[in-house]
Amino acid sequence: MRLYGRSRSLEDQEDGSINVSPLIDVVFILLIFFIVSATFVSLPGVEISRPNAQTASSLQKNSILFAVSGENQIFHGGTEIQLAEVPSLIDAASKDRNKPVVIQTDQWADAALLAKVIAQARKKAPSVSIATRKPR
Amino acid sequence: MSPLIDMVFILLIFFIVATSFVNEVGITSKYKDSANPTDQKRSPLTFELSPAGQILQNGSAIGLEEVAPLVRNAHDDSKASIIVRVSPGSKAGLATEVMDQAMRGGAKAIKMSPLAK
Repeated sequence: MRLYGRSRSLEDQEDGSINVSPLIDVVFILLIFFIVSATFVSLPGVEISRPNAQTASSLQKNSILFAVSGENQIFHGGTEIQLAEVPSLIDAASKDRNKPVVIQTDQWADAALLAKVIAQARKKAPSVSIATRKPR
Repeated sequence: MSPLIDMVFILLIFFIVATSFVNEVGITSKYKDSANPTDQKRSPLTFELSPAGQILQNGSAIGLEEVAPLVRNAHDDSKASIIVRVSPGSKAGLATEVMDQAMRGGAKAIKMSPLAK
């Protein structure tokens, strides 16, 4: 007479190896999750010193980033751009998904230029935010 | 079987690493340009930034710490939308701080507009 439980465990390890198919299932699910959630954010690629703010709140993660440097240059995706290119770049980066725009501005940049960039971005983006330091 | 698992693991690690989470904090100035200005009885509260770094309200220079009380005491109509007019040469850091203080004073929408030279 054979014990049922014992015969099962023997069947599982018939060839002496661990069954890996559940592991592959889990890894595939993780893989698909990360593929779907992967959003490749292109950073402006310039070092800026942010202005202070007390009411700063966390901004939406999946945003289009622009930077205004202390030398009054506008950056997007690692290259310097002109003011007039801003709306078309938002169109290209947004792909009809209505992404919000975040502008990283240096605190010593010209405020008039910042206002012009915001005005240009507002033509296309649902919301335009200014990145600041974390409030203490 | 194991080469498949190896490949899937490498893809998995690539996507985990490539998923960048950019955490930005900042201020958002909600300003509806389509809002009908004739609805408002009073003109919006306007701050001007001079190239010398002064904040002007109604022609007189004020300090940064006076912005929030001014907005708080303003009439609801003029509090609804605030305009920060910046002259060329004024600093973006100061403009952002004025907007921040106006938000602290209860401003709902702030517009930043450049002044002509």
